[in-house]
Amino acid sequence: MTPRLRAWALSAPALFLVALFLGLPVLSTLATTFGDPKGPFAQYAAFFDSRFRMTVLWRTMEVAVITTTISVIVGFMTAWVVAKSPARIKSLLIIAAVFPLLTGVVVRSFAWLIILGKNGILNDTLLWLGLISEPLSMLYTQFSVTIAMVYLFVPLMILTLVGVLEAIPQDLTEAAASLGATPAAAFRQVVLPMAVPGLIVGSVLVFTGSFTSYATPQLLGGERQMMMGTFLYQRAMVTFDWVGASTIAAVMVVVTLTTVLVMSKLARRLNPVAG
Amino acid sequence: MPQTVFAPWDDPAEKPLIQFKGVTKRFGDFTAIDNIDLDIYAREFFALLGPSGCGKTTLMRMLAGFETPTEGKILLSGQDIGPVPPNQRAVNMMFQSYALFPHLTIWDNIAFGLRREGRDKAAIEARVEEMLKLTRLAKFAKRKPHQISGGQRQRVALARSLAKAPKLLLLDEPLGALDRKLREETQFELMDIQEKTGTTFVIVTHDQEEAMTVASRVAVMDEGKLMQVSTPDAIYEAPSSVYVADFIGDVNIIEGKAHQTGTKLQIDWAEGQPALSATTTKNFDLGQTCYMAIRPEKIAISADRPSGANVLQGEILDIAYLGNISTYHVKLPTGHVIKAQQANTRRISRREFTWEDKVWISWTDTAAVVLAQ
Repeated sequence: MTPRLRAWALSAPALFLVALFLGLPVLSTLATTFGDPKGPFAQYAAFFDSRFRMTVLWRTMEVAVITTTISVIVGFMTAWVVAKSPARIKSLLIIAAVFPLLTGVVVRSFAWLIILGKNGILNDTLLWLGLISEPLSMLYTQFSVTIAMVYLFVPLMILTLVGVLEAIPQDLTEAAASLGATPAAAFRQVVLPMAVPGLIVGSVLVFTGSFTSYATPQLLGGERQMMMGTFLYQRAMVTFDWVGASTIAAVMVVVTLTTVLVMSKLARRLNPVAG
Repeated sequence: MPQTVFAPWDDPAEKPLIQFKGVTKRFGDFTAIDNIDLDIYAREFFALLGPSGCGKTTLMRMLAGFETPTEGKILLSGQDIGPVPPNQRAVNMMFQSYALFPHLTIWDNIAFGLRREGRDKAAIEARVEEMLKLTRLAKFAKRKPHQISGGQRQRVALARSLAKAPKLLLLDEPLGALDRKLREETQFELMDIQEKTGTTFVIVTHDQEEAMTVASRVAVMDEGKLMQVSTPDAIYEAPSSVYVADFIGDVNIIEGKAHQTGTKLQIDWAEGQPALSATTTKNFDLGQTCYMAIRPEKIAISADRPSGANVLQGEILDIAYLGNISTYHVKLPTGHVIKAQQANTRRISRREFTWEDKVWISWTDTAAVVLAQ
């Protein structure tokens, strides 16, 4: 057996699984969307014509972009503190950051129901402090969905950025200081450009994750804040419009794939050691 | 010699550029620098030499401002620089890792410090071009650090740290990452650049040859203390302690009891053996333990008994052939092994001595240094 043949033989079981359970279903899903009697693109025309569907798409985009932006800012600040801490404290901080990841998405989203509900912890506290006179309705708004998503995705961002920031040698910031750079200038001119690849990877993870999420918008957004994931579920499981659901899935695949491709191209362009 | 010798440290009227005054640095329980007093003068090429962990890098980092002394003061041109942050000191540091900014081109790396000063564009451009020319890097200006060789990176680091024309340039093991041949070339290049720019250089190194080659003065350090601060030839020929003698170059140390008359010294070193003789300007008590330090190249080796102050017979134990010289390890009847060196001035058609040959070794009474500790 040649080495090449052996490599194929070794990966055959995995390839078979991927082809059967991922490739085939995705292809058949996509195929159904082009099978409309009114023409192959009729489903897509209907999707982009519908004001409701476009609202759902834009809302999902908006939530994903806002979640990503907040996660970048919060994640970067936290990762900076973690990366600069002494070794013992650092591992504690990383465990603390990763801890939420050990519980399920549903549980973590549910926690926000308790915090943000009419009789929730936040409303109770604000009433007790006298800052409001009657409970605010915070659930089933874009705000509740976004805040839960940020909570969900910040740990991912922190983990990605801690690795990147730790990999920037201390020599570089010291060299910048020795050359007359203030700490702020050293950060802007040296640390930030070198962290760009990590920021892009983290952003892609958070953006695709929040764009395609289902459990969090379902629990905290409900019917009123329909997003692509929940919309797809509704089409498939409530109205049994399988072709419509497949179309939504196809749009989601295109959006996430485009994001990944554009961002990885950008990452290569901005990579400090390339070109 | 009509040329005046550069020796500001011998001139009491000269003001030092840098003064360490009773400087101590502790990290927790560990004392990295132990109460050091040291003066370094303008235009000096000053080497801090010592084994790893001796405190030489800490001393340099205090000059750069990355560490502050626990006790004592550091003065630069007479001013206490303790409270001055690194970015406001007229001191630049060249890192062992070079610490080039990987996301910037060579040109932008060199311009980095000048831009922080807020100089105008034309001035920055002129200065960068000047630095590129000085370090022969003009061809590589548009490349990034990962696209050039190690030797070129070293020159970029040097150009970048010299660009702002600092009063003082600190070099942390600047040649450590280069191979031997390139390192030797670069040493001379460094000396040349130091002379051209007139900048004061302080270099940290663990390579004694490098320190001896480039430096106007060398400070030998051990465990946070200065063992000796002197010119390279004085360090080599007149070490102040066994530690320094042993750290710099190869040396034979023979322990014995002193017996002094004027500048003449007789050393009883082994029972049944004639005393060794040496001259010294120091004073030793009668019977005081002393150490005779003789460099291998100052010991002659011969087949027939020579006449001389110190003559011993032994047997060749080992020969290390190094091309230009050979080192003979000669075992004495007392068990001492003495290293003697001979230059290989002729191509070897026939070795003069070989293993287990009985030979005579000898040295004059001025060849050795006698040390009290």
